[in-house]
Amino acid sequence: MIDSKLADSASTRTFLWVCMGPVLLFLIIVVVAPLTLAIVDSLRDLSLTMLTKRGQFIGLDNFRDLIGTDDKFYAAVAHTAIFMAVVVPIEFVLGLAIALWIKREFAGRRLVLTILMIPTMIAPVVVGMIWRFFLMPSFGILTVYLNRIGLFQETSVFSGSVSALAALMMIDVWEWTPFIMLIMLAGLSAMPAAPVEAATIDGASRWQILRHIQLPLLRPLIVIALMLRAIDASKIFDTIHVLTGGGPGNATEVIATYAYRTNFLKWDLGYGASICLVLAFGSLIVAALFYKIVSGKPAEAGAQ
Amino acid sequence: MQRRNPLLFAIPLIVFLAIALVPYIWIVLASFKKRIDLITPYPKWIFDPTVVNYVDIFDKGFDTYLLNSIIIGFSSTALTVVVGTLAAYGFSRFKVPAGNHLFFFILATRLGPPVAYALPMYLIFKAFGLVNTHVAVILAHATFNLVLVVWMMRSFFNDVPREVEEAAYLDGCGHFRVFWGIALPMTYPGLVAVSIFVLIFSWNELLFSLILTGGETRTLPVMIPSLVLHTGTLWGQVAAASIIQSIPVLVFIFFIQKNLVQGLTFGAVKG
Repeated sequence: MIDSKLADSASTRTFLWVCMGPVLLFLIIVVVAPLTLAIVDSLRDLSLTMLTKRGQFIGLDNFRDLIGTDDKFYAAVAHTAIFMAVVVPIEFVLGLAIALWIKREFAGRRLVLTILMIPTMIAPVVVGMIWRFFLMPSFGILTVYLNRIGLFQETSVFSGSVSALAALMMIDVWEWTPFIMLIMLAGLSAMPAAPVEAATIDGASRWQILRHIQLPLLRPLIVIALMLRAIDASKIFDTIHVLTGGGPGNATEVIATYAYRTNFLKWDLGYGASICLVLAFGSLIVAALFYKIVSGKPAEAGAQ
Repeated sequence: MQRRNPLLFAIPLIVFLAIALVPYIWIVLASFKKRIDLITPYPKWIFDPTVVNYVDIFDKGFDTYLLNSIIIGFSSTALTVVVGTLAAYGFSRFKVPAGNHLFFFILATRLGPPVAYALPMYLIFKAFGLVNTHVAVILAHATFNLVLVVWMMRSFFNDVPREVEEAAYLDGCGHFRVFWGIALPMTYPGLVAVSIFVLIFSWNELLFSLILTGGETRTLPVMIPSLVLHTGTLWGQVAAASIIQSIPVLVFIFFIQKNLVQGLTFGAVKG
């Protein structure tokens, strides 16, 4: 904190308003006002397409329908949960393995890292289009080669409900493994060399070193990486929107695509607003958890 | 650790690189292919290249969408960086009343699913007649990037040695002079990295752009999937548009590699 003489003066208060005024105004315009409007709408029977719904006040009916009887919502939640449960552990193991592999210095490392980060950094829309092209029936290169070696005989991966979800998971692993790798790499590079060297001299195997030295030292970073990844996976939208749109049927419908469909394809705004509020409330809990773990201060890579 | 055989080290490395790169290379090649070379059951690695796809998308008004993405990207970046940096300095140097709550609130806006904020934002922008304008998307992108600027800039300001600022105060400088003349310049490298991140996230963003733009105000991520038509996808054009959209991103990752991990974790991890 600055000098105590200055801390309470009028000029400090003025300057504090200069600092915090814009962000407060901004948050009121883009978060508080919209959420207030959404709360009002969530209590109404409002739709832009259904003539019977004219915006009457219906109390908490939207929420009761959503929480109580909406099978499609629960299906979307289940798909999202399955998706997260599969992709996050796979991405973690692969990301850690690659990070362990390339942690040492070598010529061209910077270029290698840039290339490895391509899947994470390019637009998710582009990721979706690349894989859509890869997996097109009859001329998509992956479909063709898989057919040729006899691994996959269907015409399109996106026509079967299991194979469509599996393909989306594989694409997510391709897209996000480098993200975990990068965080693990930051931790491994900053890790003190002494414990690993000492263990090597004592004859510990590489597996023992990983399990008893490196993983415990990486723990804070692993928690952050897994949390961020899980949070992001729960929000997946872009690739699914581009690749399956939630289909076939609703086999790959996740929370985000379901909310999008309800609001912007069916224009069922009152009901959609209630979905948004439930999600926003859920994210508050997640954010609280994340904030508690990170507690506002950056985890120094490799800190214990 | 014992030295490994260089070949044993290199082979898995090449496999990693190939997995990351080949899908991208394949779309680069596709962007230079004629339709006959694209839609073929025998994937062609060697073909007679053409730039017709690039010419076609520009004939279709690709420059409009490119310009939209540029305008929206730079405006929202400027807005986020100004608002976020001021707030970050406030959080870093002063006891902000209810600061922890505000800080948490800013985080919550970003960790929540964007789709939860999409409808509320759509409603408010519609009420003000801003749907299908640049302003709506600029504000939306600024919202979800704000936390990145606040968190990262706060940590950069925390790293600035306090003594320099105190000396300036003793010389009679006011708060703003100290902020503008001393603290801010010392964070310039960080500020540049943060700005690039915000720009990339805005450049790549789909959901808000999809909802808040239309027709002439569409951005590249909205325009690219629109080339998937009921009558068949114009793959050459999809590829060309994707390449143009992603090249600036690739250039940037090479240059901000040092800050990559920090930017991707909202500053929760320092590289």
